[in-house]
Amino acid sequence: MRAPRAQYPLIWRTMDALERFAELVWPSRFQPGLPYVMLLPALVLVGLLVVGLIQIGDASLRTLDTKTFLTSENYTLANYQRVLTEGFFFKVASRSLMGALIVTLVTLIFAFPYAYLMVRTPSSTLRKFLLVALFLPFFIGQVVRAYGWLIILGNQGVVNDALGLVGVSPIRLLYNYPAVLFGLVQYMLPFAVLMLAPALTAIPSELESAASSLGAGWVKTFRYVVLPLSKPGLIGAGLVVSTLSLTDFALPAILGGGTQDFIANAIYDQFFRTSDQGLGATLSLMLVAVGSILVGVVFMLFGAGTLAMGDDGK
Amino acid sequence: MSDSTSKSLVIWAFVATAIVMLSAPTIVVLGASFTAGNIITFPPDGLSLKWYASIAQASDLRQAFVRSLIVATICTLIAIPAGTLAGIALVKYRVRFARSIQIYLLLPFTIPLIGSGIGMMLAFGKIGVLGSLWPVGIACCVINLPFMIWAVTASARNLSPDLELAAANCGAPPLQRFLYITLPAVLPGVITGSLLMFILALNEFLVSLLLVDARIVTLPVQIYNSIRSIITPDLAAISVVFIVCAGLVIALLDRLVGLDFFLKSK
Repeated sequence: MRAPRAQYPLIWRTMDALERFAELVWPSRFQPGLPYVMLLPALVLVGLLVVGLIQIGDASLRTLDTKTFLTSENYTLANYQRVLTEGFFFKVASRSLMGALIVTLVTLIFAFPYAYLMVRTPSSTLRKFLLVALFLPFFIGQVVRAYGWLIILGNQGVVNDALGLVGVSPIRLLYNYPAVLFGLVQYMLPFAVLMLAPALTAIPSELESAASSLGAGWVKTFRYVVLPLSKPGLIGAGLVVSTLSLTDFALPAILGGGTQDFIANAIYDQFFRTSDQGLGATLSLMLVAVGSILVGVVFMLFGAGTLAMGDDGK
Repeated sequence: MSDSTSKSLVIWAFVATAIVMLSAPTIVVLGASFTAGNIITFPPDGLSLKWYASIAQASDLRQAFVRSLIVATICTLIAIPAGTLAGIALVKYRVRFARSIQIYLLLPFTIPLIGSGIGMMLAFGKIGVLGSLWPVGIACCVINLPFMIWAVTASARNLSPDLELAAANCGAPPLQRFLYITLPAVLPGVITGSLLMFILALNEFLVSLLLVDARIVTLPVQIYNSIRSIITPDLAAISVVFIVCAGLVIALLDRLVGLDFFLKSK
């Protein structure tokens, strides 16, 4: 009785045991519930964000008592009133929104040819080079990149040294709005290219050949064939770039040197400098609201573009 | 000028600018780290490895780096099962409310990082776990989770359901089908996703800044704090550690899945 059983390889017996165990834990009649169980860990993890948002909402309704440095027990809308009426926050918000808009436009203009060349080039060496040039900064992180820009753009930096050689006196290139926007464009380029590339891959190159054999120049082909068909990529890239740059912290802090704060910097200061949690929470919540409205409107109008996960949107 | 030359001229003008812009900080940091002088300059003032020797001595930098590695490892270990299962579930099965679930799972991308960070800071603070590293790891996992799910779904979409049906027809029970058919098919996505999660968590700055205190700073936060005081060349040397890590991950990605993975059409 025992002898033939032993001839089964160990792996078979283990698999059978595991199968029986799986059947015990999750019998096949529960099959319809399986995808939900598989989704559960991810849902719980993202749920942390929801819990966090609720905490922010709670904190935003309490004001800070400047005498005792305690937050109030009862709820009030005073923080919201302050944010909406004080000129400082309006200035910071419009600076961030304007910045996000400019950065998105400039980034897309540079990302599009990059993605296009990367997808269309017949040379696999060039493609690999472009990919590596893209991933290297993407994987290095914002702080190190900002540090690089400090070395390049500083008063004794590379650019000013070069200008000095041709007799131009040093220009202050750092700690101003253009420096922050420039840093943001560089930070956003990899995101934008990676969102655009799948959409461009999906456009058959025969379409472009067809357009040109019918007599369209490349500008016309680009305008009427490539651009409309790359819409999902433009949506994905535009959304990612605009929300990330609207809410960035590191680049305004490092390249703006405290004079070019974006909303995220104002929020940080409320929490860690003035310790006014309520006001900081109010600002965070309003930023989340603006971001979500932006994303929501775009999703409603155009779908999720290349941001889509799973089977939807095709 | 012919049509195609003007086209490639225009494209190359943009691409060349983009390449310079993308690579300039990396190259300058690399160069500056080898300086023999005591201030940061590029081109470097003579060549030496003395700043590398000095960071090898600095225990605070080394500890900060180890902490970053721990955070990245925790993040990746959580993201692999959570993201893989979710990605497979989204593609393979008909899920009710699939659209809502998708939008919900994209929340980490649509909620601004500062909002996510502050929210988790308040939430973790409430249950009193701030001050250890694992909440930072979990937080990094949450904010980048869509990358993992997205990588897995990209692979899972290429898996034909017929393969699993064929296996079932030959008598393979569910777990065996999962382990021998589904999992190998999505493996490129899992590898890509986990490498992304690891490197992004290693570099994560803002969420780290919000969740760590002075005793457990991670390396990006440490660098940020030092940039604001004095910029010495040892910062360039420590930044090179990040550049090397990024290079390693790219090499691994290329070896294991091929960088072309990111160019697949959707």
